[in-house]
Amino acid sequence: METLNFLAQGFDVALRPVNLLMALFGAFVGTIVGMLPGLGPINGVALLLPLAFALGLPPETALILLAAVYLGCEYGGRISAILLNVPGDAAAIMTSLDGYPLARQGKAGIALSLSAVCSFIGSTIATIGVVLFAPLLAKWAVAFGPAEYFVLMVFAITCLGGMVGDKPVKTLMAALMGLALATVGVDATTGVYRFTFDSVSLSDGIQFVIVVIGLFSVSEILLMLEKTATGQQAIKASGRLLFNFKEFCSVGWTAVRSALTGFVIGTLPGAGATIASAMTYMTEKRLAGAKGRFGEGDLRGLAAPEAANNASACGSLIPMLTLGVPGSGTTAVMIGALTLYNITPGPLLFEQQPDVVWGLIASLFIGNIILLVMNIPLVGLFSRMLSVPNWVLVPAIIIVSLVGVYAVHSTTFDLVLMIGLGVFGYLLRKTDFPLSALILGFVLGELMEDNLRRALSISNGELGILWSSPISLVLWALAALMLALPGLRWWRNRRRPQAAHA
Amino acid sequence: MYDRLFGAVWLLLCAGLAVIAWGFQAPFSYDPVGPRAYPLLLLALMAAGSLWLILRPSHLEHLLSRHQSLRALLCVLVLLAYALLFEPLGFVLSTALAAAVLGLLFGGRPLACAISGVLMGVLLYVLFDLLLDVPLPLGVLTFLVE
Repeated sequence: METLNFLAQGFDVALRPVNLLMALFGAFVGTIVGMLPGLGPINGVALLLPLAFALGLPPETALILLAAVYLGCEYGGRISAILLNVPGDAAAIMTSLDGYPLARQGKAGIALSLSAVCSFIGSTIATIGVVLFAPLLAKWAVAFGPAEYFVLMVFAITCLGGMVGDKPVKTLMAALMGLALATVGVDATTGVYRFTFDSVSLSDGIQFVIVVIGLFSVSEILLMLEKTATGQQAIKASGRLLFNFKEFCSVGWTAVRSALTGFVIGTLPGAGATIASAMTYMTEKRLAGAKGRFGEGDLRGLAAPEAANNASACGSLIPMLTLGVPGSGTTAVMIGALTLYNITPGPLLFEQQPDVVWGLIASLFIGNIILLVMNIPLVGLFSRMLSVPNWVLVPAIIIVSLVGVYAVHSTTFDLVLMIGLGVFGYLLRKTDFPLSALILGFVLGELMEDNLRRALSISNGELGILWSSPISLVLWALAALMLALPGLRWWRNRRRPQAAHA
Repeated sequence: MYDRLFGAVWLLLCAGLAVIAWGFQAPFSYDPVGPRAYPLLLLALMAAGSLWLILRPSHLEHLLSRHQSLRALLCVLVLLAYALLFEPLGFVLSTALAAAVLGLLFGGRPLACAISGVLMGVLLYVLFDLLLDVPLPLGVLTFLVE
């Protein structure tokens, strides 16, 4: 009952004209950014964040805008995946497997509308999940002391290493780089300048916006430079634009099932939409067995990843709101946005800033409806935007990035630093370091050091406090498990071919 | 190969930073950890990671051709020039120039790039500075306002 009251209060906030307008604008921009190959939700959020700040939007409005962009990207990614066979963002890779064949069979309209509805189902189920579980988790998390927090963050980082793909060492190193970048600047406890190289501009640390835009937008531009302009034509959505009832029924359960899985995966720190969509696609493929025509245009192969990636996008808001620990790269950026407003996400957020939290949650429901309504009729307009040539698009991205960074401090130093970080990010990408781990580390950095030092000053330097409570012991065990996972996987893969031989 | 190179460079960097970090000492402090331990811990862990990369490098296939790396370098130089000219020349002029050159780099035709550059410089200035209230430098065009 209490929750419903809060939710009503949230709708009150989200339905204010400014916030509605921002949700609409964010949904629109998000769809476009998500659709454009190469630009993902992190870029979208990173580009709009400085703008939201410069415009002087109140925190709840800024957060609503960013969340709408995030959701919109998950909707937009599927358009280019279906029409171009180029996933607009990483999470849409699975969508292109069945979406593109469908488009080639002249069913582009059906694929687009059906996937929009599946996205809607995914986000809605996950948002209900957020409403149900976030307050519970927040209440429980209030019991966390600094030591537990520190261990929780260790767990979040090891989770990245265990979950993200095949290169655990590089993932962990990227996270460490982020943590190390966060130590630049004056040390809050003792006032010692660290790694500032006597530069005044570095004395209060590297600004979050600069890191995000440099690492993601600038390096993306350099990557785009490599791909010579491919004159690939988008398939025109012709024929029937809406799916029929039978088609919907054939994917209904798939969508619901995938949404639930996606939600659970999204709430884990580190594992995001990409993993969720891949996992549900594989599951559905296995469930369908020989009867499925996965890879050749099976509607279920379209529904599963779309429902899952939207669900996990919403699910990843749970650890962000309740624990202050991001569940994905994009939520890491949103935490950074909140800290710009001097709001520290965490369990107390629900008590101290109910307007922000519940406004955001309510706006997810509203944003979803906006996106569904926007996406079905406007798909023609969006797909036409795919034909904007790179020589217009790239300068525009660069200019908006530069303005965003300049808006923070108005110094040339920041612009140069952004480009430097961009080159660094480019090199990391070329050598296969996952940048989302780095940004997660950067966001967690200050919190992690703070909590560690606070814990140790409580115990007067006694390290034992870090594993003295049951919660922290469990978290340590989970972290150890996550570290062991890649090794186990490797061991199993090595065993399997031998077993096949015998 | 690239992993080894990266690992080696990173290891050296960690060593260098560790030397700097060793000097972080608070004259007096109530906190038992001090400003030095945490960065040193991170550097040590990263150094371990670098060693792993040197010892067990993965195979990276996608090399850059000379042509591609030249273009990437050119792009970085254009961006740097844009950043450095941003304040002296002002937003409108530097943006028009940078947008046009970047457009060329991304395969646009010269005339089209020139036009889109000028349009972006002017229109985005109006959008950001006048409509959205993000203050941008006018640089050499300041006299127009007075």
